[in-house]
Amino acid sequence: MERITRCKIGGLGIIILLAICFLFPLPVKAAEPYHLGVVLGLTGTGAMYSRDGKNAIEMAIEEINKEGGFLKKHPIKLFIRDDQTKPDIGVREAKDLILREKVKCILGTYSSAVGLAVEDVCYEYKVLHIPAISNTEAMTVDNYSPYTYQVVPNTYMQAMGQVIGISKYAKQKGWKSFASIGSDYEWGHSTVNYFVDNMKKALPEFKLAKQYWPKLGETEFSSYITAVIGDKPDFVYAALASKDNIAWMKQAKPYGFFDKFPYACLISVTEMVEMKDELPRGVIGETRAPFFAHLDIPMMANFIKNYRAKYNEYPSDWAVMEYDAVYALKQGVEKAKSIDIEKVKNGLKGLTVNTTRGKLYFRKIDNMLNCQSYIGIIADDPKYPFPIYKDLVIITGEESWRPESEVPGVREKSGLAKKRKPEELKF
Amino acid sequence: MTGSQIFSQFLSGVSRGMILFFISSGLTLIFGVMNILNFAHASFWLVGAYFTWTFWKIFYSPAFGLWISIPLAALTMAGIGWIIEVILIRRVYERSLPEQLLLTYALVLVIGDVIKLTWGVEDRIVTRPKGMDGFINIFGAPFPTYYIFVIGLGGFVAWGLWWLLHKTKFGRTVRASVFSREMVGALGIPVHRIYAGVFALSLFIAGLAGGVQAPISSITLGMDMSIIVECFAVVVIGGFGSLPGALVGSLIVGLVYAFAILIIPKMALVLIFVVTAIVLIVRPWGLFGTPMRA
Repeated sequence: MERITRCKIGGLGIIILLAICFLFPLPVKAAEPYHLGVVLGLTGTGAMYSRDGKNAIEMAIEEINKEGGFLKKHPIKLFIRDDQTKPDIGVREAKDLILREKVKCILGTYSSAVGLAVEDVCYEYKVLHIPAISNTEAMTVDNYSPYTYQVVPNTYMQAMGQVIGISKYAKQKGWKSFASIGSDYEWGHSTVNYFVDNMKKALPEFKLAKQYWPKLGETEFSSYITAVIGDKPDFVYAALASKDNIAWMKQAKPYGFFDKFPYACLISVTEMVEMKDELPRGVIGETRAPFFAHLDIPMMANFIKNYRAKYNEYPSDWAVMEYDAVYALKQGVEKAKSIDIEKVKNGLKGLTVNTTRGKLYFRKIDNMLNCQSYIGIIADDPKYPFPIYKDLVIITGEESWRPESEVPGVREKSGLAKKRKPEELKF
Repeated sequence: MTGSQIFSQFLSGVSRGMILFFISSGLTLIFGVMNILNFAHASFWLVGAYFTWTFWKIFYSPAFGLWISIPLAALTMAGIGWIIEVILIRRVYERSLPEQLLLTYALVLVIGDVIKLTWGVEDRIVTRPKGMDGFINIFGAPFPTYYIFVIGLGGFVAWGLWWLLHKTKFGRTVRASVFSREMVGALGIPVHRIYAGVFALSLFIAGLAGGVQAPISSITLGMDMSIIVECFAVVVIGGFGSLPGALVGSLIVGLVYAFAILIIPKMALVLIFVVTAIVLIVRPWGLFGTPMRA
């Protein structure tokens, strides 16, 4: 009796299942969704910049998905991971994104150390990589990977941009001598030395008067400030690590330092907004992608409008670049007419893309976008609740990037041939 | 090199010295009275700065915020000091120096993590109060008004400590217990309470110093370790346990640093320790210390 019932129920089950299959046939198979991974330093030192980047990526994806996704048929599915600004965690998260979520491209990375680590993971698994905040030149030159495309002016371009921008100001204003102050460690020394060496070439009559090297983590700069004031240079070049730079600015300002000396350091839109009261006016800043430099480009104007509507703030450099990264990828997909990784990779090679910063192209030898660096003088602007740059100098990618002829030499030194296939290094 | 340049370098050296004095006075007080080398003293200073930030945020007011926050932070630190003395420090008076160092160094690490958990890893910024964010000219040398306050408060702390130790009953008891703890105890004075009071007082000054430091730079993790080394140089030069020594030592370190920057900037930090080494060779107990205590 029992057995019969079981058979009956089993049979009935099968019939019902079959009926369901016939009654509700599966919908027409939708095109495969595009899995897009993001690795950013959402906690740790990079949290503030990374948050903006994440916001911009989410907004770009929303816009594209409204049209049906990539090629109007591949909806984008976003997978966001936090690398805690640590390379080992970045590698773990990148691998997990590739193996488990089957992402076809990884955007992001705040820290250059994480960026380099993720670049190698992406190369190993043949996945696209667009590191849109971190900008060490090594990612495109020393450690080049055919899968990595870069939309941020790299360290070389930013340094060269400073030299070009400052020498323009020096000529305009008739400066004769400058002093340098750099944190006493590797980055501080290499940045200052690079600037001094290239300035010598660009404008030999602009002389280095004196150099100062406060220790890393210095909290009391007054003796340096009075010493520099005593030297009376026309210009002061600084490479102070972030916290030290804030301390320096806070302490130099009450001395009236910035009224007397033009002084250059890195100031992005984030700092302009966050330090709007503290930031000394008249300081020369350099940054990577300030929105106010390209208000005349419709894509930028739209982006600012929508970003403000969604997040109630102006987009920082980091938001601009991550947004451009998504749209560069979109145009690569359109060029390839497919979401296949290899095809998109080849589609992006040398491609000219529309970005919020204008029509720009990826250089073939290093997949570096010819994006601009921006130098200006911090000043209040009635249009914004925070200071922006005035007397903006825009240095083009071609002016500032490493000449193509130098690239193979750097790669030989870094031993890239051992890590990549020979055909990948032919251009 | 003009006169006004030398003068402004002198002033900046004195300001730097005063900040060092704030920390090293507490360090030397704890060592002099309790015979404990408090490696964590600068960490308490940093916690004081973070508390100042917290109070400053609560009582947000550009003109008065800081003037309320600094004393509050100092009082909070004094309270924390009392508790830490009772729970931890009290247990190691009779132990050897390495064991005491181990405890206070462990405190550095614990405090570092507590700061991370409480205030996070971001830099905290306190702005200078209105009216103290500019500079005045003293004999042609620009000098920030805030540093006048720093130097003034430093002088007041030095005087206040001297008065407390030499003119009050509390001070006399403290000085007596330096020489003979047992005798003071035998007279019916609760020595452990005196010790807790001294520790709390030292942390009160550390809190005050942290509050004063808050608007000078940004408040960041790791600041404590970068300043404690200089504070040790100060107390070595001035003599362990000597308050006048801490004052003179701080000024020496501040001024040596300031003038080294003017003349040979690359050697500034090294010169401080050259001076320290010379003092150690010539007068191992420091300028104001006594051979007995060294």
